Amino acid sequence: MKRLLIFPIVFVALLVPVVVLASGSGGFDGVVSSIESRYHVHATRIPFIGIVSAIARTATQNGVGNMHVAEFDSFSAPVDGGELNSMVEQKLGPGWHRMIRETSRSGNEQTLIFVHPEGNRMGMFIVDLDGHELDVVQLSVNPDQLNKQLGQYEHHNHESATDRSDSE
Amino acid sequence: MQNRIIAFIFAAAALAAPAFAQTAQLPAPSPIEKELAARASNVDEITLDKNMLGFAANFMNHKESNNPAADQNDEATRKLIENLVGIYVRDYEFDKEGLFTAEQVEQLRAYYETNEWSPLVRDRDRKTGESSDVMVKLVNGESRGLLILDIEPKEISIVLILGPVHMQDLHKVMGIAVRGALKGEGVEKSTKAEEKQKDKEKKGGDQ
Repeated sequence: MKRLLIFPIVFVALLVPVVVLASGSGGFDGVVSSIESRYHVHATRIPFIGIVSAIARTATQNGVGNMHVAEFDSFSAPVDGGELNSMVEQKLGPGWHRMIRETSRSGNEQTLIFVHPEGNRMGMFIVDLDGHELDVVQLSVNPDQLNKQLGQYEHHNHESATDRSDSE
Repeated sequence: MQNRIIAFIFAAAALAAPAFAQTAQLPAPSPIEKELAARASNVDEITLDKNMLGFAANFMNHKESNNPAADQNDEATRKLIENLVGIYVRDYEFDKEGLFTAEQVEQLRAYYETNEWSPLVRDRDRKTGESSDVMVKLVNGESRGLLILDIEPKEISIVLILGPVHMQDLHKVMGIAVRGALKGEGVEKSTKAEEKQKDKEKKGGDQ
């Protein structure tokens, strides 16, 4: 019986942060709902993103976590770069600093990357419009951990390349 | 008496701290930049403050490859980034000429040009309206920043690097700022070239 209880407890534990975050007017959901109302579009949210985020956190050994993703397909409204930037800035609040802004009117392209220091982690908020697709992504990155992970792959790649050249 | 001295030192430190913090920060964007961004067809804005540079430097920690020269170069780039206060890049491209005025350019120049900046290059072309300014921030004879302001009829570029930076390190900093990548361009190129050379030598040795 006790074992059966663990499943709903884990499910609720994963669901609570998602619900709490969704109820806020600022942050990720604030930005997404502002885009929805301003450009009359509807976001496609990835189901069970909380679970996906938890898996990503485990897979990267705490390197990447707190993931939120919203996708707007068939985004055809013209976007004013300055207006979008102000809207995102306002909804994210004062703790976030814009690192990159890229705007190209000709191709309807917009990229905004905001960062937020969280101790030894860094929160990242990305808004990217490319043609008719707009993506909003939020995640938290631990550079030390991520660097170790990347280092492992680099070593692995280098060893594979050396093996290949040896066999040749 | 000793307590008073300690209290005085603490008070002086507390008063001095905000002043240091103020000087060691990137400037707020000039109001002209907002106007330029509104008219430009392509806008690129990169702002990397001390926190973000520290974050970027973290990505260069603990990296050990089989190439000691590349590791040494990586370490030098990491130290360079860690010591920087900030990188500020603005690039505005316009569809046609005449979308910004000479007064706006002057206001922009005046916003960044303060007493602590010494001109290194000053180039003006009255016919085309093109101009280039390269300035260095000198503190006690040491370079503490670099400012590049380039004006073309259809493009305005501003590059501001705050912190101890030398000309020979510029390519590393620019590689980070412009590509938004976490490796210096020069480092990456030299590493690849060195790896190719090693592979060639190895193959030659095997034959």
